[in-house]
Amino acid sequence: MPILVNKNTKLICQGITGSAGSFHTEQCYEYGTKVVGGVTPGKGGRETELGIPIFNNVKECVDAVKPDATMIFVPPKFAKDAIIEAEEAGIPLIICITEGIPIFDMLKVKQIMNKSASRLIGPNCPGIITPGQCKIGIMPGYIHKPGKIGIVSRSGTLTYEAVWQTSKIGLGQTTCVGIGGDPTNGTNFIDVLKEFEKDPETEGILLIGEIGGTAEEEAAEWIKSHCKKPVAAFIAGQTAPSGKRMGHAGAIISGGKGGAKDKIDALQKAGVNVALSPADMGKIMQEALK
Amino acid sequence: MNIHEYQAKHILREYGIPCQDFRVVSRATDIEEAIDSLGVTEAVIKVQIHAGGRGKAGGVKIAKTREAIIQKANELLGMKIVTKQTGPDGVICHQVMISELADIAKEYYVGLLVDRAHAKPLLMVSPEGGTEIEEVAEKTPHKILKVHFGIDGSIDEEALNKVCRFMDWTEKTGEAGKIFIKNLCKAFVENDGEMLEINPLIEDKEGVLWALDAKFSVDDNALFRRAEIKEMYDPSQSNAQEVIAHEMDLAYIALDGNIGCMVNGAGLAMATMDLIKYHGGAPANFLDVGGGANKEKVAKSFGIILSDANVKAILVNIFGGIMRCDVIAEGIIDAAKELQIKVPLIVRLEGTNVEKGKELLKKSQLSIIAADDLTDAAKKVVAHANSSK
Repeated sequence: MPILVNKNTKLICQGITGSAGSFHTEQCYEYGTKVVGGVTPGKGGRETELGIPIFNNVKECVDAVKPDATMIFVPPKFAKDAIIEAEEAGIPLIICITEGIPIFDMLKVKQIMNKSASRLIGPNCPGIITPGQCKIGIMPGYIHKPGKIGIVSRSGTLTYEAVWQTSKIGLGQTTCVGIGGDPTNGTNFIDVLKEFEKDPETEGILLIGEIGGTAEEEAAEWIKSHCKKPVAAFIAGQTAPSGKRMGHAGAIISGGKGGAKDKIDALQKAGVNVALSPADMGKIMQEALK
Repeated sequence: MNIHEYQAKHILREYGIPCQDFRVVSRATDIEEAIDSLGVTEAVIKVQIHAGGRGKAGGVKIAKTREAIIQKANELLGMKIVTKQTGPDGVICHQVMISELADIAKEYYVGLLVDRAHAKPLLMVSPEGGTEIEEVAEKTPHKILKVHFGIDGSIDEEALNKVCRFMDWTEKTGEAGKIFIKNLCKAFVENDGEMLEINPLIEDKEGVLWALDAKFSVDDNALFRRAEIKEMYDPSQSNAQEVIAHEMDLAYIALDGNIGCMVNGAGLAMATMDLIKYHGGAPANFLDVGGGANKEKVAKSFGIILSDANVKAILVNIFGGIMRCDVIAEGIIDAAKELQIKVPLIVRLEGTNVEKGKELLKKSQLSIIAADDLTDAAKKVVAHANSSK
């Protein structure tokens, strides 16, 4: 039993006719995800090449196809409204892939999500995948293998690297969740760790963090007192200079805070096996399971 | 994006926040006219650069005569300023501010930023102004008060009263202080601020409050709705390669090693730097070509990496997700042909269409060194960089 998404999850895509939205909807569909609809204002009533119905707004789409999840690909300036529209329409799981959403837009979204029954994953994330069952997002499906490791990460391509390594050594994954590289996000490490801890199929957890903020330290605190499963981790940015934003909006060491060393120390103190080379993520996960 | 002090003060004034009158000069021949129109015989002259620590670096001068103002302004124009924040290369001062002198009785600190963890904007105040707030935070943390305010820029009366008591303002100063803080919160939110520091906020001998300095950075992602601030972008304040990368929408950070890196995704790019260091090398840069990069972007990325003379070898590490490996391979081939890359080029591809990508590289007959996995790639690039010393 994986977490959050499975073979029955019905997905829609907001921004389905844009270039990224249409390409990735097709990829998800081909992977086997139940894609039941899409939204693009002004294009309602049509169908995509795959025969997926398009609606003018989320409400109409929800009424017609009753999705469990939505994948958002709209441009950054419209992303806040797209997330709020999905929340108002009551979609339980909202996955926002869009990168570059203004900070104050995310503060507004966060206030709404804090009081909502829906869950937001992202923004600025690769999405979520339960191998062999459901792929929602932009990750290359074929690198994943059904298995026993839960992966949670702030990164995109670095997650693929971790997936690749765990697939190659035969561990496979239950579910992989990209929580995104923005400092204000919908779902954090602890939210996902809790789900993995509850999931009987997940035997070990691989956490991939990076410099900036204190999310990894908070995760370490939680792991120390609540997590019985073996956890392995990698923290990107051990060599990053202070005061420079390393691509992701959240990846910055400022005022001496948010450095990799503090995070690694905190995780190690919580009993987590930490890989120092990104090439060893799979290996260290395997060691943690022993 | 950072803006200059004078630009920040223009914005603050629109919100009714009192700032001393000033003129900004970029040519020596304009100095006298600026003094005349300001109507002063004594002034403070400040370099306009994006880094903090200007005073300590000799970038702020006080002049008590007209001649002294002219002389000091001349000295500062074109001066290279090196502070803790600029790095050893420093930045050139292209503009100086000539400002009225203030009659300082007391200095305070006011800072606004976004508290991401609580998803609210945060106001930080301290009665210890004029020094670095990091120092205050470390040595006397009880002298800093933090209060949240609304994402619409509103701040409630209770929070304002707390600030007044903390700053130990008299009733009269407190009334002005409340208006000052209210306007500041509004200015911060309405301009998509990331960080706004007034250090110091001063009280003059008459008990009037002024923003003596202003340091403002604005959310890059919100510049689409802040056209007037977007115009304030000043490329002279950053590293040349970083400026080119910025214009091409690439995330690039110059570092001091000799291995050029081209990676897709910020996390993997950081991890690649770590990997190089782990195997005894030193990265020359952080470069994330992004998820949606095309052939042109890959080619231009090579251009940026190669414009750094320290680069002795290049590592391309791509895990294709959105970005397909065959597209990357085409970009690499184009660039290698066009730019005649003379340093060893190590390529590690994985992900979508990886076989097609590898095939293209092989067929190209270019002297590209293929790597099997991450460790292999790192070892190879470090060996090549070290052997070319």
